[in-house]
Amino acid sequence: MDYPETSGVAASGEYLTFTLGAEEYGIDILKVQEIRGYDAVTKIANAPPFIKGVINLRGVIVPIVDLRIKFNLGNFTYDQFTVVIILNIGKRVMGIVVDGVSDVIQLSSDNMHASPEFGSVLDTRYILGLGTVEGRMIIVVDIERLMSSQEMSLIEAAAS
Amino acid sequence: MSIDMSQFYQVFFEETSEHLASMENLLLNLDVDDPSLEDLNAVFRAAHSIKGGSGTFGFTDMTSVTHVLEGLLDRLRKEELPLKAEMVDAFLSAGDVLRAQLEHHQGGPETDAGEIEAVCARLNQLAAGEEEHTKPHKGASDTTATVAEAAPVRQIRLSCTLPQNIAAVPESVDNLLDALRDVAAVDVKIRPNSADNTLVVVLTTQALDADLKDALAFYSASESISIHPEDEEEAYGFFVDLPGDASTSNEDPGYGFFDDIPEQTSTALKAEAEAVADVGYGFFDDAEVFPAATAQQPAGGEDPGYGLFDDSPGNPERHRVSPGDSPAAIEGPGYGIYVDAPGGLGLFDDAPGAERVLKSSAPPPFSNRAATSTAASPAASVATPAADAVVGRRLSDNPVIETAKSGRRDNDKTVTAANTDTSIRVAVEKVDQLINLVGELVITQAMLAEAASTFDPVQAERLLAGIDLLSRNTRDMQESVMSIRMLPMSMVFSRFPRVVRDLAGKLNKQVEMKTIGDNTELDKGLIEKITDPMTHLVRNSLDHGIETPEKRIAAGKNPKGTLTLKASHQGGNVVIEVIDDGGGLNRARILEKAKEKGLAVSDGMSDYDVWQLIFAPGFSTADVVTDVSGRGVGMDVVKRNIEGLGGRVELESSPGFGTRTVIRLPLTLAILDGMSVGVGGETFIIPITTVIESLQPNLDDIRTLAGDSRMVHIRGEYLPLISLADTFGLDGVKDITKGLLVVVEAEEGKAALFVDELLGQQQVVIKSLEANYRKVNGISGATIMGDGRVAMIIDISAVTRMGLMNNSRQRMAA
Repeated sequence: MDYPETSGVAASGEYLTFTLGAEEYGIDILKVQEIRGYDAVTKIANAPPFIKGVINLRGVIVPIVDLRIKFNLGNFTYDQFTVVIILNIGKRVMGIVVDGVSDVIQLSSDNMHASPEFGSVLDTRYILGLGTVEGRMIIVVDIERLMSSQEMSLIEAAAS
Repeated sequence: MSIDMSQFYQVFFEETSEHLASMENLLLNLDVDDPSLEDLNAVFRAAHSIKGGSGTFGFTDMTSVTHVLEGLLDRLRKEELPLKAEMVDAFLSAGDVLRAQLEHHQGGPETDAGEIEAVCARLNQLAAGEEEHTKPHKGASDTTATVAEAAPVRQIRLSCTLPQNIAAVPESVDNLLDALRDVAAVDVKIRPNSADNTLVVVLTTQALDADLKDALAFYSASESISIHPEDEEEAYGFFVDLPGDASTSNEDPGYGFFDDIPEQTSTALKAEAEAVADVGYGFFDDAEVFPAATAQQPAGGEDPGYGLFDDSPGNPERHRVSPGDSPAAIEGPGYGIYVDAPGGLGLFDDAPGAERVLKSSAPPPFSNRAATSTAASPAASVATPAADAVVGRRLSDNPVIETAKSGRRDNDKTVTAANTDTSIRVAVEKVDQLINLVGELVITQAMLAEAASTFDPVQAERLLAGIDLLSRNTRDMQESVMSIRMLPMSMVFSRFPRVVRDLAGKLNKQVEMKTIGDNTELDKGLIEKITDPMTHLVRNSLDHGIETPEKRIAAGKNPKGTLTLKASHQGGNVVIEVIDDGGGLNRARILEKAKEKGLAVSDGMSDYDVWQLIFAPGFSTADVVTDVSGRGVGMDVVKRNIEGLGGRVELESSPGFGTRTVIRLPLTLAILDGMSVGVGGETFIIPITTVIESLQPNLDDIRTLAGDSRMVHIRGEYLPLISLADTFGLDGVKDITKGLLVVVEAEEGKAALFVDELLGQQQVVIKSLEANYRKVNGISGATIMGDGRVAMIIDISAVTRMGLMNNSRQRMAA
């Protein structure tokens, strides 16, 4: 797998949008393996609190990160509506817990803008740009860079 | 057009190591006094396949070693030489050299050139050893030309028939000549053109005939290439016109007897070129009717010669030589043909006459063969001394590779065909993926069964029956999928006859090796990793265990010691035993050494504990350090390796009767026998090999040291008490009397792990956490439980360290 060094505005394509708190985010649909409900996880010893643990995804041990905890969004209930997005990042499989999945949208470079410095819960380093669809603003996230980052501590320091 | 050959290298490497292994195996099983021809042929085939492969991939160093090896083997399998013990030794060392070369090509260290030369020289010498007294007549000039391996600079005449599409294009011919110039100085005698596609060149070269053929392989089928010493000019024209005749293609020494063919004979033959060519074909067609004979005497071209001499009344001396030295020739089809060919016999009696040759060659096909012999007969009778020498030479010289070509090729084909039918090569990842998927299937099936169990058995009868069937099928499937990775123990055992043989020789001991349970199957990963520890145990047994013949006789034992390797299944384990009938372990000596080393020992220790001392690092009772063993690095490494595989080592010994080392291994590396324990609502797996006991703690036995650090008093020992809940930051049972203690033993020593509850004991499939996450301290992996949930497998050593550190930190804080 290649890790394209994306800069500024992402190329157009399809994005999966999800909500985290009041903001709507989009990630490259090609990085998404599947969406599933939240199952019981097995805790990992001495892991940061936002790493909920691991689940058995058809024989593969997959770590689950709760982005809501990571970004301090307050609402951590786990019920039948809690959604986990399973991502394929490089050769790794991991899951993220979000507030809700909205839909899949088409974003062309016309309706994408470079991200200004603004107060998102996310560091602008991980933001590819801002997209507008039907008046909604979608923050397009470089999910690959975010998940591989040191602060997610999902990957051994040497590997990131 | 260039094909990237490197993609096929791996296949070559794998196949070659297999060939080498089977060669070694066959050689070791060979009965020197009465070698089975079949085995010799099998060894030969293995050598030949290696040669063919290495030639194809351009590993010429390997080609040349196998070439020499093949030379001697070929003579053996044709029963021209008796097999001797030193030959087997030479073959084995040649195998070692080839293995080293193979490793070099795979990126290993350079092979020692001196060693290669020594081995080749030894093989050549063995091949030549018998030669001296059977070739007294042989002329000096012949020697250089025909001993192919000697590789002196020599002048040879090479001719070949090129395919029309090459011969007609001058550029192609130039390319061909350039290819030859790479290996030899070339003097073109007859240059092919569109009308005549024959190429004749005189080469001055050091290269072997096989190399020359390799150089030409791209242009012309090797069957159509013939190579002769330069001094055979006259006979030459004859051979040029035999395009398809395999026998003439080689540097077949037999043709030397054409050296002195009178001019007119050769002219006559040329005139009759068509007919002669037919003879060649005809002969071979017929030869194929006798497959057995072909296999044994494939160089049919020689047969006319033998037949001729045998039946030629004018040469009684040769008559004597042939049957005695070449029984194979008598069995050859050629012989029968000539005996039955009335025309031929008649001609021989009447001696040479070119006209008569032509006449008798006319009626096809039977007397055509006679014509071949007549073609030779003038030479034979005219140049009796020369021919005489030739016969001697043919019998004694190793005909090297070429003579047996057609027969061997047939053999190879059948062997390859059999291999492709019975096995395929599959990447291990694919198998592992399959195993994973089946594991999933089993879990899914369990889920289904669970869900269906709530249904009314009467209403859902068909569904329940279907689920029953599904569970049976998945179980069978899992079993057979797991067996894909399984290999028989003979893969490990097979290397030991060699080790034992070499070592016994070195130590002047007589040892017989027995293996029991060769077919016990073990995971491929384990097979690879068990070999080193086992080699160590075998060396130990030979060096320290089995006594010298004198000592054994003095002790009233058979001078020949026995080393037994045994493998068997016991429950979910594979048990491998290394048993020797030597002197056994010396208890007093071990205790003495242990005291010297300052280990905590007492004379009252149980045997079991005394034997365990052997596994201490740096422990050796040997007085003298030999290059076999005695340095004291050994048993501790063996123990660590085997424990690393999730296994255990035990020793049993009785003085005077021998020692038995027992290795217990799990069936596969991917499966672990575990004790599942519950801590704070989570399930953890403790590898059962580390568990000594589990017990309910008694509050009186708990001693609290400074701070929060606790020790537990169990059977006279004070063990550190480590709470798994604290170590993993979980909310577990706090009251020590409500939980359980699991006493484990790790490298760091014993410790008592405090857990909430014991859940059971089961085999679990080990999954990596690092694949999608990262290493977690204290956890060696994860597994999926029957209910589909993930459980962590505890790394006992790490947990013990963590626990001790926690304790001391708390002590510091206090």
